[in-house]
Amino acid sequence: MANVLKRQIRRSAKKTSLYIILVGIACIIIFPVFFLFSFSFMSDYETYSEWPKPLVPSFKAHFMIDKDVEGYHLFIFNKSEDDFMPFGPLVFTNNEKDVDNLRKFIKLQSNCKISSQQIVEYLEVVDSDSRVEFTIRKDLLANYILFFQVVNGAPKAVLNSLMVAGATILISLTIGGMGGYAFARYFFKGKNILKLSVLFVRMFPAVSLAIPMVIILAKMGLYDQPLGLSLVYSVGQISMSIWITASVFMSIPVSLEEAAMIFGTTKVGAFWHITLPLALPGLAACAMYSFIGSWNEVIAAVVLTQFNPTFPVIVYKALVGSQGQINLITAGSVAQAVPAIIFTLIIRKYIIQMWGGVKV
Amino acid sequence: MTITKSQLSLSRETRKKMVPYLLIAPVVIYYSMFWLFPVINAVSESFKNVDGVWTFSNYIHIFKDPVFYTALSNTAFLVIFSVTIEFLLAFGLALLINKKFKGSSIFLFLAMIPMALPAVAVGAMWSSGLATRGWLNSFLMTFGFIDDASKFLFLAGGKMSTLWLIIIIDAWTVIPFVMIILLAGLQGIGEDVREAGAIFGGTKFQILRKITIPMLKPTITTAMILRIISAIQIWLIIVMLFGFNRLPVLLEQVVLNYDQLGAEYFERIGLALSVLVAIIVSAAAILYLKVSGSFEKEEKENG
Repeated sequence: MANVLKRQIRRSAKKTSLYIILVGIACIIIFPVFFLFSFSFMSDYETYSEWPKPLVPSFKAHFMIDKDVEGYHLFIFNKSEDDFMPFGPLVFTNNEKDVDNLRKFIKLQSNCKISSQQIVEYLEVVDSDSRVEFTIRKDLLANYILFFQVVNGAPKAVLNSLMVAGATILISLTIGGMGGYAFARYFFKGKNILKLSVLFVRMFPAVSLAIPMVIILAKMGLYDQPLGLSLVYSVGQISMSIWITASVFMSIPVSLEEAAMIFGTTKVGAFWHITLPLALPGLAACAMYSFIGSWNEVIAAVVLTQFNPTFPVIVYKALVGSQGQINLITAGSVAQAVPAIIFTLIIRKYIIQMWGGVKV
Repeated sequence: MTITKSQLSLSRETRKKMVPYLLIAPVVIYYSMFWLFPVINAVSESFKNVDGVWTFSNYIHIFKDPVFYTALSNTAFLVIFSVTIEFLLAFGLALLINKKFKGSSIFLFLAMIPMALPAVAVGAMWSSGLATRGWLNSFLMTFGFIDDASKFLFLAGGKMSTLWLIIIIDAWTVIPFVMIILLAGLQGIGEDVREAGAIFGGTKFQILRKITIPMLKPTITTAMILRIISAIQIWLIIVMLFGFNRLPVLLEQVVLNYDQLGAEYFERIGLALSVLVAIIVSAAAILYLKVSGSFEKEEKENG
């Protein structure tokens, strides 16, 4: 009896410690990502005037207006000081210009929207009651909107990135897909040399390709063009696509094609009606992989663009050149990260196979 | 009649033989136009000066520049320590966890996130976190671990602490993923093999050394060399945290010379540096192909 009990205790202790380790790792993973997201929702005031900075963004801000002989004063509630602090212009009067400036200041610094009329109404309350406190809901997406307004060419950069990714997918999936089908279904001379070069090209550093491509693309009139950049990305992505599509086509039995041909279709017809539909999920994963690769790439894009940068280049330059404030930059990088994360999670099984050669 | 028929079938036969070559032709053409040609171009241009005269001056400039050796040794330091530490920790964790557990799919989901984050997002995340008034100090202060006077100056450290900071950030990005891969490999081995080892009197350590590790070897080598190749190319996180020239590494020097200094002379230095990086990475890639047995497979099939 005692032995059984002991064994049970030991087993549950083992299980508990396993889950403690797992939860610990999960926390370490989530912790920084959480703060990246958290910063992207914070107003300038939270980011720069509260210390220690809030760990979670607030959903609203509290304000107070009072009045003395000089005029009106605006205060904002500062969580780290646990008190109202002076906010904005030291003193202002109830005229159209001052009120409008105040409205703009509140919007820019605290991401809160208030109308001029509302401010005037509060000022009237102050006149009769000496002070007024009010709460405004924060516009959580303000940083995201502001990033695309403030950072030069950000919307166009997103468009460029999408065009580069689209062209890369198109080129690498057609050329790589054909190659992958040949690898999966046929024996031919030089197959192994090609296989080795595919692996080798995949690992070749992008920057060493991008720099000589500057002159080549300039001659083709494609320098600083999305298509030019996608030509460089496609080199690595074709290798990737051959690798993925070959394994996709290998998993579809040849006998299916042969059966279709017995029923009278041609080889092309069999491919079109049987193999391709079956391969579609794998090909979609391949397209997503190409998308992630070109959407995230920085160094070749830095080298190969000038006036038409891609989205990651914009975010990188905004941070290095301190063009924007950190809460804006985190908003930009979250916007950049979300599609990449979603696609990675969709195709995670393929990625794991590629790294370890193990099926999960 | 019969002659034409046999001719027809012959031509169909040759046509059939042509199919794979037609399918791979675009790949070969594309590689030669956009990979081989630029690579040859890069190598030859790196031996020319601004006036197009053949010279070694670009490489002489690099090899005389002390910053190059700093960049080289920093890169080597990063590669050696980050890859080793990542593997030891990831392997240790994988061995600890090595069980089917509830919520494993959620865990896999989480472990992929750091790798999925684009490099610029990782840069923004840590630069907002490691700033003196960043989220890490804020977190520690909020929970009373430190006070305002004792907050950490993460980014103001010397060279060694800066290097270790980069290694820790890289470890955060990579360890969960490598661990998942090793875990998948471990589960592919199966309990019965290890049980057999135990029946024949092996200790836990012997089983690990003589059974588990050898069987995991293909997984380990693949992942390790791919890690080495990407560790050689670390630069963005360094530039995003410290700017240029604080902690020189190879790729950062390429971008600095090519993109930042803004003169054709330095563009050529950048080009020559990128050729050197390509040689280093290619050596690692060839090592990978050799270790993974791709070369032997070819010899076997040819013989």
